[in-house]
Amino acid sequence: MSLQPSYLPNYFSIDDILASQERIPCTFSVNVQKLGNLNPSSEETDLKAGTALELPLWLVQDLSTGRQPVVIPELPKVYKEGYREILKADASAVDLHKFNLYYFELGSYVRVFDRKSDVADTLIHAFTNRFRQLMDVIDSTEHNPTDFQRMDSLERRLFKESKESRMKLHTWLEHSTTPIETAAMVLNHKKRKRGTDL
Amino acid sequence: MFGEKAVELIKELDRCPTSLPPYNTDLVSEVNNEMRHLIESNQDDARSEEENRSLSGESLLPTIKCRHSAVIRNIRCLLAYHYNRLRVLRTMRWQFGGVLPSDIKQNLSHLEVEWLTKYSNSLAQYMRSVGEEGINLATNLKPPKSLYIEVRCLVNYGKFELNNGIVLLLKKNSRHFLPRSECEELIRQGVLEHLVS
Amino acid sequence: MEDDENLHALLDTQDDEENEIELSPAVLIEVMEEAWLNEKFSPEILPNKIDFVELLLGQLSAMEENLENVGDRDIKKTLHLLEVDRLRFLVGSYLRMRLEKIEFYVDHILKQENSRLENREDLYLTEAELTFARNFKEGIDNHFEHLMRVHPTIPVDWKNQVIQPNIHSFVFSRSKTNIESIIIDEGNDDETVYVNKDSQMIISYNSVSNLVKKGDVQLV
Repeated sequence: MSLQPSYLPNYFSIDDILASQERIPCTFSVNVQKLGNLNPSSEETDLKAGTALELPLWLVQDLSTGRQPVVIPELPKVYKEGYREILKADASAVDLHKFNLYYFELGSYVRVFDRKSDVADTLIHAFTNRFRQLMDVIDSTEHNPTDFQRMDSLERRLFKESKESRMKLHTWLEHSTTPIETAAMVLNHKKRKRGTDL
Repeated sequence: MFGEKAVELIKELDRCPTSLPPYNTDLVSEVNNEMRHLIESNQDDARSEEENRSLSGESLLPTIKCRHSAVIRNIRCLLAYHYNRLRVLRTMRWQFGGVLPSDIKQNLSHLEVEWLTKYSNSLAQYMRSVGEEGINLATNLKPPKSLYIEVRCLVNYGKFELNNGIVLLLKKNSRHFLPRSECEELIRQGVLEHLVS
Repeated sequence: MEDDENLHALLDTQDDEENEIELSPAVLIEVMEEAWLNEKFSPEILPNKIDFVELLLGQLSAMEENLENVGDRDIKKTLHLLEVDRLRFLVGSYLRMRLEKIEFYVDHILKQENSRLENREDLYLTEAELTFARNFKEGIDNHFEHLMRVHPTIPVDWKNQVIQPNIHSFVFSRSKTNIESIIIDEGNDDETVYVNKDSQMIISYNSVSNLVKKGDVQLV
């Protein structure tokens, strides 16, 4: 449909839920009874203080705050200094998807785990830097799938939306009209049906 | 790990953003079971924590906190699963019109069928309220450039009567020159294809 | 045309049988086109322009009736019918965009409307839109409550999840008058700028939202 709001994570947002499923390294600061099975490499019933584990972001966010934090989180390695240096050197050369599919969104959450670091600045720098390249890719008529594979989810969203509007503009300039089309979901449904009929 | 099943529901939607996979009754009830288990364990532990507060011994609060967090996460995934399905359904209502194909209807839970009926009704009520005679918002989706357009028929549709009384036979692969306003919905529904020279 | 307020004044007297004033179709169409653009590019829902919608729809019906008496071969008829179609698209698209926003931001919008009601301010939604919004919210709420009925003891935080429009997103805009000062949103120390009539700018929507509602700034 025509409403395409600028992306802002919300309670129901699929991307945000998937981003918050990513695992964050952390260390338990207290004993947690009965939940030993959170640690796959141990058979004990209780989780001992000092245990280091990777837990999903949503759990880490809840457990690392409050008066008595249960875990102390760390920056995931792709946000640590080494990786930040790579981004600062030449952000556009990086395969961001290999770092993390939700690199920017996840980064905006985890940056508070190390307040002294310059994660936020690095993210902004990397985004601006890569954005120019993104625009070039969108403009180019050549379709190179590896370009897309190297993008993080935010970039992929921008890519798809811009590509779509480019196509529309192109059709409009060419024919000075846009054809009325079969609704996307109807089309999809037909294709599937054809698939099962065969 | 807690919440794994719930996030499976979300991944299922992520895989097919423009269609509606069958309502996953089994996975939803597994998530509900996990939640029930977490809630009950927490109630038990909260009780023993209360009784043992004076005794020395380790607190169960961190355990309770973990499980509580998992409950909240499960709720979020569960609601987001259902919410996003409703979003797909409302878009389908706009794209297919009032009647959904039966094979799609099979994929709905009975609550979803109920929701869609109510949505359709309140949409119709709204459309009737605009102007003197109401307005059909499901047509005129694109700015018109001409009154008549060339179309090709994609299926054997049968007879189709125009507003001026002329009856056409829409056969597969036949071409027609028709008033745009009258055939737009058929194009949207995949019966006709708009030919642009 | 001075601005929308004058038009409102004109329209208000319309119901008054003694001095009925006709609004020229050209003005009406211009107002509708502007409303359509603003609604299309504004991240939040704007005050409704239902008066103009109703007026325009009335004129379109009248036009179509008149055209029925004109011979089919008259080229003027074709052109007029096309214009009617185009305007119907405009109205339809405008109303559709509003419905989409209402659905997506339903809790947020209803909250705002309630506070407007309490402060005796004008509502942004029409009566029919308000009914639609309430029905929509009720539909979602019922759906969720059914689902959560299996867990009677869970915390009810889930009830207050509101999706908000991103009012800080950037928009293209054109000023329709000279504007003394626009306060730049999130700028350093409330930076303000003077803007000439007809200048175009890319700016955070939040900085111009009031001017858009007043009619001093047009989104493009």
